Amino acid sequence: MNRLHWLGLAAVSAFLIVGTAQATGNASNGRKLVYTCAGCHGIPGYTNAYPNYPVPKIAGQNEQYIINALNEYKSGDRTYPTMVAQAQSLSEQNIQDIAAYLSSLKPIK
Amino acid sequence: MKRALILLYCTASLVLASTPLLASGSIAAGKTKATTCFACHGTDGNAVDPQYPRLAGQYNEYLQQALHEYKDGRRNNPIMKGMVATLSDQDIEDLAAYFSSLPTKLDTLKGHIQGD
Repeated sequence: MNRLHWLGLAAVSAFLIVGTAQATGNASNGRKLVYTCAGCHGIPGYTNAYPNYPVPKIAGQNEQYIINALNEYKSGDRTYPTMVAQAQSLSEQNIQDIAAYLSSLKPIK
Repeated sequence: MKRALILLYCTASLVLASTPLLASGSIAAGKTKATTCFACHGTDGNAVDPQYPRLAGQYNEYLQQALHEYKDGRRNNPIMKGMVATLSDQDIEDLAAYFSSLPTKLDTLKGHIQGD
């Protein structure tokens, strides 16, 4: 086997390894799950009380960041009480589905 | 006396916790301070690597809140903890002003949920 073959094999296995680490969310299920989120995140400029700041825009946000954020609320690394409660009610699959849907969105002009 | 003191502390902490974040930062100053952020969050504020959030067009006061939370430990993230350690309140206002002013790929969920 020549060097080129080895290179190809390495590339293919690297691709496979990366592929398995990728999120496997189901966006259409995510679309159903985000119904709850819209109560706050669906109102442009909606602001929390204590502390007082606008809830973030989450449509179009990056997939793995959303997964990380929800898991951080779950683990206590992020502390906003409403989001901690929401995240605790979600399974790992729910979180991946939500992230798949949100990251697929583009702003409505 | 003791009760009065407790009441005073409670009021004081409420006032502190609710200090309003003002959108008074300088976009130009923020731009020069933001160079460190670009490596992960993208030169246009739209991170390419999906593990990092897009900042472009996010709400100004939300970005300030996030940076303050990284700084005081309410958000525990090893990378961002190091990044914000040296930021002043003014730096935070300027950075938030800059990133919130950029063209966005973000949106609220309005129009994106079932039934809309």
